[in-house]
Amino acid sequence: MWPAVCRNRSVEILKERPDLVDQMNNFRTKIDNVLKIICRKHFQVDATYMMSGVRLWFQSGQDCYDFIIRQPEFEWEVHPELSVMNTITSQLQTFEIVYTPTGITID
Amino acid sequence: MKSAYITVVGNLPVRFDIEQAKKLGPVIASGNTNKSISFDYATANSETNLQDMLNSSSFKHSEVLVPEGLFKKYVFFDGVTCLPDFPGLKSYDIDPEKCSPQTLSLMLSVYLRQTIVFLVGYDISNPTELTRLKSIMVANPNTKFMFICNPPRTYQLDDLANGFCDTFIKFQELIDRAK
Repeated sequence: MWPAVCRNRSVEILKERPDLVDQMNNFRTKIDNVLKIICRKHFQVDATYMMSGVRLWFQSGQDCYDFIIRQPEFEWEVHPELSVMNTITSQLQTFEIVYTPTGITID
Repeated sequence: MKSAYITVVGNLPVRFDIEQAKKLGPVIASGNTNKSISFDYATANSETNLQDMLNSSSFKHSEVLVPEGLFKKYVFFDGVTCLPDFPGLKSYDIDPEKCSPQTLSLMLSVYLRQTIVFLVGYDISNPTELTRLKSIMVANPNTKFMFICNPPRTYQLDDLANGFCDTFIKFQELIDRAK
């Protein structure tokens, strides 16, 4: 998710607040750089603007898991929702990420 | 081009070079019974089986399909996919979490809409398994089901228009012709 001050901002507000846009761009660059370091397979930072944050696509589930559990290290907040592309049905299945004291589970 | 054939390897160990069957089309494994062979798809509904398959090198390039409950636990494992919602599961009285992996494989083969399904190492000695196989055959009249076995051939499927039985020798001949 975007840094707290940047969330839920309309395009009009962002036009008036270049400081927020800078923060968001820096945030996107930081994510991209971290992914380059931790991902073993292909990933993509979605270019589509979303009010809540940046959508990320991972080719490997293991990379995705790494990204989620390393949140405290990189000081960002992951929206607790995970979508998986089913290769048989070609449908995107969405699940909720539940944080537990010992890790994460999927509901 | 999409293949018209699909091979389902059932719960029984198979003494046949399944690698050859891949020339006809995709091959689906049921559980970890034949784990010395590599498959295109595999089905599992027990955690023990799934863990064994994930740790077997032969399933490294297979797509392992599991019911949703199990999928949620292994969602971050590459190669594990959620089984689709098969139509008519309730009418067949089939629980994907509890039925045999070969039934899941059979339903997957029908879901993939291939026109001829070869059943290799498919256990029909259990009456429940046979009834489920026949139910699925009746529900899919446009798909032909070829039960492959060693001689003598079984007559269990002869009452269905789309059920056939042949030997491994004939199956091998078909593969040789496809080369």
